[in-house]
This record gives sequence, C-alpha cells and structure tokens, in this order.
Amino acid sequence: MTMATAPAASSTAGAAKPAPWRALRGFKILLPFLALVLVWWAIKASGDFPDRVLVSPPQVWDALVGLIARGVLADYASTSLRMIGAAVLISAVIGVPIGFAVGVNRYAARALEGFLRFLQGVSGIAWLPLAIIWFGFTHQTTLVVVIYTLIVPIIFNTMVGVRAIPENYGLALRSLGASRLRLVTDVYLPGALPSIVVGLRLGMGYGWRALIAAEMLVRQGGLGDLIFGARTFGQIDRIIVGMIVIGTLYIIVDRLLVQPIENLTVARWGVLRT
Amino acid sequence: MSIEAAAGRSPRGRRLDRLAWRLLPIVPFAAVLLAWSAYWSAVRPPAQTLPAVADVVRAAWDLTASGELGVHVLASLWRLTLGASLGIVTGIVAGFFAGLNRHVSDFLNPLVVFFNAISGIVWLPLMIGWLGIGTALAVFLIWNTVFFIVFQNAVLGVQLVPEVLEQGVQALGAGRLETIRSVTLPGALPYVLSGIRSGLGFGWRALIAAELVGATTGLGQMIFGAAEYHRSDIIIAGCLIIGTIAVAMDRWLLLPIERRTVQRWGLVADIEKEG
Repeated sequence: MTMATAPAASSTAGAAKPAPWRALRGFKILLPFLALVLVWWAIKASGDFPDRVLVSPPQVWDALVGLIARGVLADYASTSLRMIGAAVLISAVIGVPIGFAVGVNRYAARALEGFLRFLQGVSGIAWLPLAIIWFGFTHQTTLVVVIYTLIVPIIFNTMVGVRAIPENYGLALRSLGASRLRLVTDVYLPGALPSIVVGLRLGMGYGWRALIAAEMLVRQGGLGDLIFGARTFGQIDRIIVGMIVIGTLYIIVDRLLVQPIENLTVARWGVLRT
Repeated sequence: MSIEAAAGRSPRGRRLDRLAWRLLPIVPFAAVLLAWSAYWSAVRPPAQTLPAVADVVRAAWDLTASGELGVHVLASLWRLTLGASLGIVTGIVAGFFAGLNRHVSDFLNPLVVFFNAISGIVWLPLMIGWLGIGTALAVFLIWNTVFFIVFQNAVLGVQLVPEVLEQGVQALGAGRLETIRSVTLPGALPYVLSGIRSGLGFGWRALIAAELVGATTGLGQMIFGAAEYHRSDIIIAGCLIIGTIAVAMDRWLLLPIERRTVQRWGLVADIEKEG
C-alpha cells in the first residue's frame, strides 16, 4: 500500500476528473505496485525476518506518517529540493553561456570536447573527498559536487545544440544585415534550446543521484542523510520511506516540470530534431 | 575535418593547420596544468589543500610502484565486470521478454519508471544491511544501475524493429524463435549496445560512489581513505586515474563495438550523434 500510494499520488489527483479512462489508467499504474507490495508482505510474513532486516509494508506506512506528522520529512526533503534547485540554476547560468561561447567557434569546440568528456568520466562524486578537505562537511561541499555533475552535460549539450544549427541560417540573417545580438537571439538561442533542455534534463538525472550520494557522506540534512542516518540505527522502515520519497520526488520533478518544458521547446522551436 | 579552412594556403601552411587541429584537444589540459602551477607557485597553498603538480605525479608514481594502485584498479574493474555483465545479461533477457509482449511491458512500465528513478546509490543504505560492506554490495549497485538502462534500451530496440521485417521472415516459414533470432535480435542490437555503452558510464560512476563508503578496496575507497589523512595529492591522482579509465573504456572498448554493430546490422543511421 505504501509503495503504491507514493508514486501514484499524482495520477490519483488527475483521476479525480470524471473521465472514466483516466481512472482506469490510474488503476493500471497502481496495479504493479500493489502486486509488488503484496509479494513483499508475503515474504515478510512467511519468513522469520527481524525488523532490522526487513519490515512489513504497514510499518513503512507508519514511519511515513510519523515522519510527515513531525515535520521531519518536509525538513529533509526541502533541504534536498532547495539544493538541487540552486544547483540547476547556477549550472544553467554558468553552463549555457560557456556552451554558447564554445559552440559558435569550431576550434573552441574541438579543443573542449575531449576535456569535457574527461571531466564527465571523473564523476562529481569522485571529487567529494577533495571538496570535503576544501570546504569541510558543509552544504557548500554538496553544492560544489552537484554543480560539477550538472554543468558538464549542460555545457556539452548547449555546445552540441549550437553546432547543429545549419550555418546557412546564420548567414542568411547576416546577409539581411542582422547584428550579432540578433543572430544570437533569433538563430542560436531558439536553435539550441531543445538541446539545452535535453542537457538540463540529463543533468538533473545525474545531479539528483550525486546529491543523494553527497548527502550520505556530508551528513548535513537532505534525503541522502535521512536514509544513511537511519542505517546507523537499523531503521529499515525509515530507509524505505526515504527511498520512496527520493524516487517519487524525482519522478514528479522530471515528469511534471522538466518533461513539459522539453516538449514545449521541441514543439515550439524544435527545427533540428525529428 | 576543417580542411576547407586551410584551402588556398600553401601546402606547408595546410599541414601546420592540420597539426594544430590535431593538437587542439590537448590545449585545455595544458591550460589547467599551467594555471594550477602558476597559482601554486604564486600562493604556495599548504600541500593538504592544493598539492603541486609534481606532488600529484609523485603520488601517482608511488602508488603504482608499490602495487597499491594496481590492487585498487583491479578491484574496481573486477566489480565493474561482474556487475555490468550481470546487468547486461539480465537487462537483455528481461528487455526482450518485455519488448516482445505488449502486456508485459505495459504492466512493468510504472515499476521500471519508479525503480529507475532510485537505481544505484539510493540502495546503498538498505543494501549495506543486507549484503555487508564489500564486493557484493558494489556489484549489486552496478547491476541495478546497468540493468535499467540496458532493459529500457532493449525494450525500445525490440519494439522499433519494423514489423514488416518480422512478417517477411514468418511468411517464408520461420517459427517464432527463428524470427527472434534472425530479425528481432540483430534489429535491436544497436539500441542494446548504446544502452550498454551509457550503462557502463553510469555503472562506473555508481561504483566509485559505492566504494567511497561500501568497500575496503577499490579506487573510490583509495580516494576516500586519502581524505582522512588530508592527502589531496592521492585524491587528485585518483580522480585523474578514474577519469582516464572511464574515457579509455569508452573510446577503445565500447565505441568500436558500437560502431561495428551499427555498420553490420544498423537499421539506425544516426546513432553516432549521441556519441
């Protein structure tokens, strides 16, 4: 039950509308989770598992209710959400201009491509030990690691997006007397936008994971801290609640925020994607 | 390449241009090294904050010479091999199963979306309790990461094989298994391979993250252990090695395999764009 309610929360809200097929669709989404919860419950009930190893679904439900009622969950979740929000904002503000600057110049693009690939190979989390030495066990350390993880795909995709714009578009505008600024606002920006949004979405996926991992080690709040801290006390129920919340929040942000933006930009400006 | 830029110049100038073009990728690395050395000699920060370039080289050399690095690299690569092969095999099998049957894939889809969102490192706290610290834990996290990427790509690949091709073989009298073997499998292969390629990238990341706390050997443990003694020279050397292995794996192992399959069986023309 707990497993099922959490991820489907958004769909039940949508199913409140009368259209019967929507209700059916909501049920179809719920059904696999229901089956999974039943299997899990059966395993717990049939085997002799102490609570330190496996808890039953109702116990997880109780933990969820308890964490919400005491405001603990909101506290941890808001820390994570604020962190990823700040990281996305900062990375986009820094990364997109860099991607543009590199993308409009063939030589710069050639020079930086390998470097960016290398940076991506050293995952953000690998820099965590160094960041801890530099900034201590602080939010700053987490933020640096997440921004590092996010910014590389953003720069890379912006660059690719700009490079993919047919040169003729810019030339045509320039021959009509457009200024450099017009060129950026009318050709490069709309042309590269779909690719930039893809980069943002990808970066979010990497960044959310890096955030959780960093929070586990930095231990200054956040959902990663919640589940890793619960481990120390063997609170399996809390760990599972945390995992469900982490998955659900990511799906909500990805599906309800990022994907619509992606669809919009692709529909509006997506000349280059088929 | 950009030979047109050099058009109309003397042959010697053209050759120089081509050489410069070749060397361009080295420029950012050289620039970082230069800036780092310049900053270091100007500010002289304490070695635990920022070591000199030479210190990092020495640390890398010492680690290699003592055989310590080899142990860590082997431990990491062994885990990656185990976890990734498990993930690839289970991902392909499950992916084909789901891809060939619409009802199965429709039923599983919500679960896949959810568990994909928590794949990898999110399982660490729960799995430390179940599997303990060590190779089994890392292998599970890599399997978990690789599986979902390969699975989703396999499903997509199978579903995108044009039905006409399958019907064509069936019309010639092929059974269901024969159709899968001779049409669906090769048709889906390019997708599966690009899934494997990005899966290994994710898996490598997940491994390093897992090793930071969940192992006693491996590159992740090497740099995390070094942090305790504030040995930033070892950390930086370790990060550079981690990046080099990731790039080398992609360049010399996965990219060639993907290229060859696409050439041989590729129904998709533009898979390279991603690369």
